[in-house]
Amino acid sequence: MNSALPEDAVAYGEAARGRLVRLGGVDFGLRAEADRGARKEVRAALSDLGVGELDVRADLDQFLAAAQLCRVSGALCLPWPVVAELMRVDGNRLALIDASSPRVDHGDLDDEWIGSDLDGVTHQLHVGALPRQAKLGPFLVPARLGEPRGRIPSDDVTRHLVLGAWRILGGLEAALGQVVEHVKARKQFGQALAQFQVVRFGIADASVALRGLDELARFTSWRLDVAEPAQRSADAVALRLHAADTARSVLRTCHQMLGAIGFCDEHDVSVIDRHLQALLRGPVSGETLAMRLVPAVRSGEFETLFSVTSHS
Amino acid sequence: MDYDLGADATALRTRLRQLIHAYVPDDFLGACTDDPADLELCNQFCRVLAEQGLLCLAWPEEFGGGGGDVWHQTIVREEMWAHHEPRGPQYMGVNWVGPALMRHGTDAQRAKHLPPIAAGDVIWCQGFSEPEAGSDLASLRTRAVPDGDGWLVTGQKVWTSYALMAQWCVLATCTDPEAASDKRITLFLVPMDRAGIEVRPIPSMLGPHHLNEVFIDGLRVTPDDVLGDVGAGWTVMRDALAYERVGIARYARCESLLQRLLEVLDDDGRWETLAPALHARWVRALIDLRVARLLAYRAVGDSSGVDPAAAAVARIVTTTCDQNVAEVLVDAAGPGALDAGKEALLHGAIDDHWRYAQAATVASGTIEVQRMLVSRSVLGSSR
Repeated sequence: MNSALPEDAVAYGEAARGRLVRLGGVDFGLRAEADRGARKEVRAALSDLGVGELDVRADLDQFLAAAQLCRVSGALCLPWPVVAELMRVDGNRLALIDASSPRVDHGDLDDEWIGSDLDGVTHQLHVGALPRQAKLGPFLVPARLGEPRGRIPSDDVTRHLVLGAWRILGGLEAALGQVVEHVKARKQFGQALAQFQVVRFGIADASVALRGLDELARFTSWRLDVAEPAQRSADAVALRLHAADTARSVLRTCHQMLGAIGFCDEHDVSVIDRHLQALLRGPVSGETLAMRLVPAVRSGEFETLFSVTSHS
Repeated sequence: MDYDLGADATALRTRLRQLIHAYVPDDFLGACTDDPADLELCNQFCRVLAEQGLLCLAWPEEFGGGGGDVWHQTIVREEMWAHHEPRGPQYMGVNWVGPALMRHGTDAQRAKHLPPIAAGDVIWCQGFSEPEAGSDLASLRTRAVPDGDGWLVTGQKVWTSYALMAQWCVLATCTDPEAASDKRITLFLVPMDRAGIEVRPIPSMLGPHHLNEVFIDGLRVTPDDVLGDVGAGWTVMRDALAYERVGIARYARCESLLQRLLEVLDDDGRWETLAPALHARWVRALIDLRVARLLAYRAVGDSSGVDPAAAAVARIVTTTCDQNVAEVLVDAAGPGALDAGKEALLHGAIDDHWRYAQAATVASGTIEVQRMLVSRSVLGSSR
């Protein structure tokens, strides 16, 4: 048993952070809201990082390297559909959608898009321009279904969900890191906020939640190599649901600890929270994800120490 | 990165389940019942485990153990707890009294105490908590006053699990109230039938044997009874707690009970008719349990203690899971959930689980202490 990430994946993540920070970090993500054209700078950065050569379907090492890229992109609010880029199908970016009302994050970027629902049923997407400036999911673009494209392998949906969860994890880690520094520095009633037990316990609970999500993301990624397709799929849905649930509680803690400054765009937490919303709410709600898991619980495809698969 | 617990992990798990199936009836709910036959079953099962080299699988071979690794120990812990701990109170001797003796005991103490533990022939209890010393063990008041070539002990212990079942006790006393808090405590190995010890059970929602008071009046102890050095009890206790740093594998019983209830509900046609909100809670509970298991593995794998918060993180998640699962079980079971006794749903295991889960965030280190440990690792000291 060894849950440590491979050194190469960690090194790639650090290299990605170094390169993407040079774009301006979270401030760059904020700037891109007002200046959509600024996003073209990301393309060059990703090219420098060799993202086009990463094959997330090939092996676990490449997948984990890509996962660290997603994690960093979440931490920095990188204004780019990194997961869709990594999961390209026949040169088209792949978006996970709710087919009844498709939305595509950064769908306005010049490119071809394929949309897949969670069952892998795909369509070419016709994506319009950004309708108006939205605070939550500021790069989310409505789309409509085009030509049917058949089904993609279930593992494509699985990997998409997992990489998205890594991006959420990165955003939450960055947000909590900011809050930890804040409560250590900010004084009220003559002492640092970090000296108040209610604050300490709140930070402890959020930290525990993030460590749990981190561990689940690693485990789910590892299972891509060893579990059956239906098990991998259930694992991925579970991870994404857990990521969304964890985000809700951790971001709530972050806002509460920061006070009013946490709602202001001059603070990273406000930007991180707003930019994560598209991933947290889509392609379907957490409750819908939970309902998708119910049959997997019954069939044993969501494995526990005591699950009995319906095939055995 | 590899989450496999080792090549022989599956075989060990299978072997343990076969043994449990052969020796432990389906309606067994642990040793802490009013029926003495349940304790006797545990004692017999421990002897079976001992004969097969499984009771002390993780002990070093030089002390009669199997030389297993932490993952063998983890699998044993999971399987035993999942099946209502058929080792009964003996897990305490195996899991920490034995290892503490190996590290801090004298040759004579090892020779006297380790073989009975390894053979499954002895029950130990721990006399730590007191009315005025719970989480703050350093403030305990039970005094051991020098008397002749030994000490005379007077005081009171409380919440002492298995005290009426145990033959031996690791008794924490204050030998020097003027010393620094980490040099005040001395541990003694005391037979429970020695004059000066009286045990009174405390009726509780947890059931019999979990909670007792131990009154100590004129108990005579000798230098041969001291575990470790005089005044070094805090060090021994800290080591003892480290042996069981991740605590009992509550997640394993939770997963087992949810699976058993699912099968009953499925057979009855009730699984499909559960409210969607309850299905969603069930799903989330299973995900949380997976997280709890992974965090426990993380803490076990960090045996060198590089991450001081790893065990606390694991304990917070697994204890809160335990209570959450208790609620899911009761709500999903429906009107019969509160039925007790072996005729009840799952032979009364849901009622049993809910009651015992209430203590999860209190026993063996409260969740507040765990949060303090985690916050210290993130924010630094609060002083």
